[in-house]
Amino acid sequence: MAQVRIAGLSKHYGSFEAVRGIDLDIPDGEFTVLVGPSGCGKSTLLRTIAGLEEASDGTIEIGGEIVNDLRPRDRDVAMVFQDYALYPHMTVARNIGFGLRARKMPRAEVAARVDEAARMLGITRLLDRYPRQLSGGQRQRVAIGRAIVRSPRVFLFDEPLSNLDAQLRDEMRSEIKRLHQEIATTMIYVTHDQIEAMTLADRIVLMRDGLIEQQGSPLELFERPVSTFVAGFLGSPRMSIMPGTLARTGAGPVIRLGETLLPLPRAPAGDERPVLLGLRPEHLTRAQGPAPAEGSCRVEAVIELIQPTGSRSYATFRLAGEPVMAELQAHDVSRPGERMEIDVNMARASIFDAGTERAI
Amino acid sequence: MTDTPIAPLRAAGAPPRLSALAAWSDRNFKWLMVAPAVALILALSVYPLLFSLVVSFINYDFLIPGHAFVGFDNFERVIADPVARWSLVLTVFLSGTSVAIEFVLGLFVALAMVRSFRGRGLIMSILIVPLFISPVIVGQAWTLLLQRPFGPTNYILSQLLGHEVTISWLTESPWLYISLIVADVWQWTPFMFVILLAGLTAIPPNLYEAAELDGVGAWQAFRAITLPHLGPMMLLALTFRLLDAIRLFDTIFIMTGGGPGTQTYTASYYLYTVGFTQFHLSQATAGSWLFLIVTALVVVALVRRLLRVEPV
Amino acid sequence: MAAPARRRRRRAPPFARILLLGFFLVFVFVPLYWMFNTSIKPSDDYLAIPPVWFPDAPTLVHYQAALFTYRGLEGLINSLIISLSATVLSALLGTLMAYSLARFNTGGQHLSFWVLSQRFLPPIGIVLPVFLIYRNLGLYDTHLGMIFAYTVFTLPVSVWMMFAYFRQMPRSMEEAALVDGCTRWQAFLRVAVPLAAPGIVAAAVFAFIACWTEFFFALILTSQNAFTLPTVFRAFIGFQGAQYGEAAALAMVSLVPSIALGVLAQRHLVRGLTLGAVRG
Repeated sequence: MAQVRIAGLSKHYGSFEAVRGIDLDIPDGEFTVLVGPSGCGKSTLLRTIAGLEEASDGTIEIGGEIVNDLRPRDRDVAMVFQDYALYPHMTVARNIGFGLRARKMPRAEVAARVDEAARMLGITRLLDRYPRQLSGGQRQRVAIGRAIVRSPRVFLFDEPLSNLDAQLRDEMRSEIKRLHQEIATTMIYVTHDQIEAMTLADRIVLMRDGLIEQQGSPLELFERPVSTFVAGFLGSPRMSIMPGTLARTGAGPVIRLGETLLPLPRAPAGDERPVLLGLRPEHLTRAQGPAPAEGSCRVEAVIELIQPTGSRSYATFRLAGEPVMAELQAHDVSRPGERMEIDVNMARASIFDAGTERAI
Repeated sequence: MTDTPIAPLRAAGAPPRLSALAAWSDRNFKWLMVAPAVALILALSVYPLLFSLVVSFINYDFLIPGHAFVGFDNFERVIADPVARWSLVLTVFLSGTSVAIEFVLGLFVALAMVRSFRGRGLIMSILIVPLFISPVIVGQAWTLLLQRPFGPTNYILSQLLGHEVTISWLTESPWLYISLIVADVWQWTPFMFVILLAGLTAIPPNLYEAAELDGVGAWQAFRAITLPHLGPMMLLALTFRLLDAIRLFDTIFIMTGGGPGTQTYTASYYLYTVGFTQFHLSQATAGSWLFLIVTALVVVALVRRLLRVEPV
Repeated sequence: MAAPARRRRRRAPPFARILLLGFFLVFVFVPLYWMFNTSIKPSDDYLAIPPVWFPDAPTLVHYQAALFTYRGLEGLINSLIISLSATVLSALLGTLMAYSLARFNTGGQHLSFWVLSQRFLPPIGIVLPVFLIYRNLGLYDTHLGMIFAYTVFTLPVSVWMMFAYFRQMPRSMEEAALVDGCTRWQAFLRVAVPLAAPGIVAAAVFAFIACWTEFFFALILTSQNAFTLPTVFRAFIGFQGAQYGEAAALAMVSLVPSIALGVLAQRHLVRGLTLGAVRG
């Protein structure tokens, strides 16, 4: 069993608190992504799990045993580093087999395992090369090979794709996802890239300033963000967030943005108060049909800016003075200055308290 | 990647358990690593220093029996000795002059060597040669050049200047000071040159390009770009060289033997004579402690500053 | 449109550079050449006027005398033994300490400063008490005594060069080794040291040159038994002209190894001269 349980974990350097009291429960075999902006503590957390940093407080359990006092070598984890961390003075084969030799494994078994790992990653022909002769993508595969050859309880990834160019990154992302499907081992993956987080994770743990802001499945965080921070972090282009007021009228609850009233399909709890309205581009589409769909309302817009991306176009307009992005079809020939009717899907809108920035 | 499962890759498990000794040495790894060096420095540097401090307060003299405590006697004797005072003055003068000349020459050579040109590597290799020669040999080499009647210096000068030159370069004042300074400059200018060159090459060239586009002249570019960037490096070079220069001994020993009389006694040479030719050991240690204190003040001030400044 | 007039060059025109470098090359060359010349010049030519720039009948007699009559060869062998041993010890201890300082900041600023400041200790302050201590311990005029002294003497530079080297080596490879199954010692020996090999060699070269050219300690701490090559020059002081050739010959013998090594290691020169504070 290789579930990872973290309770009350903190890590501070002098007066700087990198990680402040984290509780995390990762079941066996799950792919967990720690994501967040620079300095949020995700790498520190990962390194503490690996044993490269010592926890200041709290416990780390791997497979039911508390590992706080265990050296990295004794925790049966493997780590893939951002700069690959291959041993330059050893061939690829010796790099991969390094951990096995440290366990005094017989040479034949080491060779067999190295060959198998190389075959899985498609790097068999590179086994006699040195790291300096390899490309970035190849080096990263070797690094992954070094990790899988030991079949550890937990895989740790520290921003492994950050040094690769965009195309390679997409490729490697798929490979890592497929790897997880094949070997079904617990994986903890650190990244600052929200696309990696969304596509790879079974569970996303979004961190901020040493604490967990929200954790859950990718769709959960995406559709029901618990704060404006989460809402703004995931999704590209970003969710548009506008200040307004939650009001109750005779016709039902509305969000008032300046002069505009946007009716809400459901009444959120609490009294009338200032709120922040969050709308993703996909919630704002060109009006179809005579009347807006259930839960949507229709507004008039003057297009300010069009940004085509090939598969779709994003049109920026103003809603009560605030810039908002709507998603249009790619072939929708709208030009700046044009007037358009936009259906706003208020059923999917996110509403946050203006003071706490947390979802209502 | 293929679709076949990784049947042969079973869990590798944990590495062999560490013995108690191995575990202990792993826990205390960082201390164990510094221990041998620290022990050696304690034994052969700190302990001798403390020992010499004790010696300077007692009577330790090969010619006078007993080790009686004499308080500050030894210190007073050193301070009262006119040769001691002279040696300090001479040390400051010689080291100051030498280092200044080395600095200026080194800067010029560094400026001349910044741009890449054909043969630069070879010239570099030749110019740094003096750094790897024993100072005794440097002294020996210059003695061979300068010593009358053997050295060709007087002959060459006579030819160049048109009239006969009969300077005794190693015994006649003020020429003998010039000889000592020349020998020191010969050996250590490359030190300055190498460090300043490193500093110069670290200055991004696009600063100069921008200046040229702006119409800034060569001298102004030097003042506005080169000097500020070179500042820390110049300080480093001067500090290191000065701290070495005040110990001047080897070349004195070979070239003039401190003479004639005590005219070329540097501080180190003076202390050497007191301790090892006159065998007034406690007086010598007292004197060396005084010298140490003077040096220490300079070291602490400059080295602390260097440590903080350098983003090593 | 007429082409703009040639701008003033940023640096002095090549003529000045050629003059300066030319002067310096000559300046460096002349004493060395004269010494070489003297070493092969028969004694009869010594006092010739005009001076003999290259003898008609070069001879190796002075080399022979210097090495055997004046025990230069013995001094050379002693120097070799002592310098090599001290170099190995210094590189070893220095690398160990530097790794600890670089990776763990052991002892903080105080330890680093203490080690650094050792470099600037005036030898006269140390050598007097060490002389007394060695006499008491029976280490006076012994190879072992000199090896210890020279190790301490070269330790600060070794530590600081390696410290700078380790600082700029990324930690991730050692961390990978730790996760892979190494103890700290194993990670150090199997990963850090092989990677630091060029730096260690450079530090060793500079330590060797420092020991090979050192005079003061050797003068005071040795006598007839463990005397090093530089001390042999004592025999030539205050002479009346008979031993010029021998002195020159001995100097040539001593020069060649240290210059060769120094030129070979010149890539690391700046780091060595500035105790690693500056990357060359």
